[in-house]
Amino acid sequence: MMKPKRNDNPSRERRRFLGLLGGGLAAGASLALLPREEGPRERDLREADLYRPHPLAG
Amino acid sequence: MNAVACELCPRGCVIPEGGAGDCRIRVNLAGKLRATTYGRPSAIHVDPMEKKPLYHFRPGSPVFSVATAGCNLHCLNCQNWQLSQRGGEEMEQIYRADPAQLVETARREGCQAIAYTYSDPVVFYEYAYDSAELARRHGLSNLFITAAYIRPAPLRRLCGVIDAANVDLKAFDDGFYRRVSSATLQPVLDALVLMREEGLWVEVTNLLIPTLNDDLAMIRRMATWIRDELGAQTPLHFSRFHPQYRMRNLPPTPAATLDRARREAMDSGLDYVYVGNVMGHEGSSTFCPVDGTLLIRRTGFWVTENNLTAEGRCPECDEPIPGVWK
Repeated sequence: MMKPKRNDNPSRERRRFLGLLGGGLAAGASLALLPREEGPRERDLREADLYRPHPLAG
Repeated sequence: MNAVACELCPRGCVIPEGGAGDCRIRVNLAGKLRATTYGRPSAIHVDPMEKKPLYHFRPGSPVFSVATAGCNLHCLNCQNWQLSQRGGEEMEQIYRADPAQLVETARREGCQAIAYTYSDPVVFYEYAYDSAELARRHGLSNLFITAAYIRPAPLRRLCGVIDAANVDLKAFDDGFYRRVSSATLQPVLDALVLMREEGLWVEVTNLLIPTLNDDLAMIRRMATWIRDELGAQTPLHFSRFHPQYRMRNLPPTPAATLDRARREAMDSGLDYVYVGNVMGHEGSSTFCPVDGTLLIRRTGFWVTENNLTAEGRCPECDEPIPGVWK
């Protein structure tokens, strides 16, 4: 009868998991720090949907 | 410091260099007063005339409606607060539209009028003025939908290019103006009289808010003032309040309150008193003040029957009905 395969080095799995987690966190932090476009999106008047129902009074 | 004084509205903001006025969009750039939203509207729509509301001005016609961010009032019940209580840079989107592009687009869409509306056009005065001047040269009318919190000198100049106004008279009580709108009453009354003197077609709207400005004695004082200072034929619209923005603790205006207000104003001598924001209400239609003939039937924002003669008279008794009908 074959014995179930044993993981000879459990700390290797842990290191792999921690590496992936660290990489993910680093990528997220980098994206958060990247400069983003500020202010409103400028559009050409021709893009306006003039007949779209809207909730504005007046 | 190189501060500038904004002389447009009664607030009279003194704006330090790099700062903005109370309206958020009039700023001091290197010692010069600038409106950051000139040519940068955030709301553009084609609406029916009845939505403004202007009931005696080319009924049923489409209106090219434009607004930028900002306002010089801060009403707790503002329905358009996402536009009016922000600076231009806080909007999600703005359009590039100089006055020539506005006028060209309005004409292309078959609109006979441009309305400066939604927020308060007082704060984008220069943009509205330049657009209105150009629009008029192209045969379009100009409409100012406003709380009229503006000083006399700039208003008088503006009246030279504006054809009609609907003024939101928020209450006939200075305390209400201070508490709810962070403004004062007298400059609004002065502006109404000035508009009438300058020959604008003027209609007045009063949003009735339960417990705050629906007192019949106050409504009678307001109607009497309108009759004496603006004329008995000035249309007055009582509009229904809905809980909004920072005033969600009050219920919508009951229909009975609107009916009572309308009756009170008519008993005070006004010929054309309307009820707004109530679908299918009889008070949204126009009746001859002499013989009661139905002249214009409205359903919501739509004209569903128009019995006026081509000259704007009652078809039964020939009474001339004031307004701009062609």
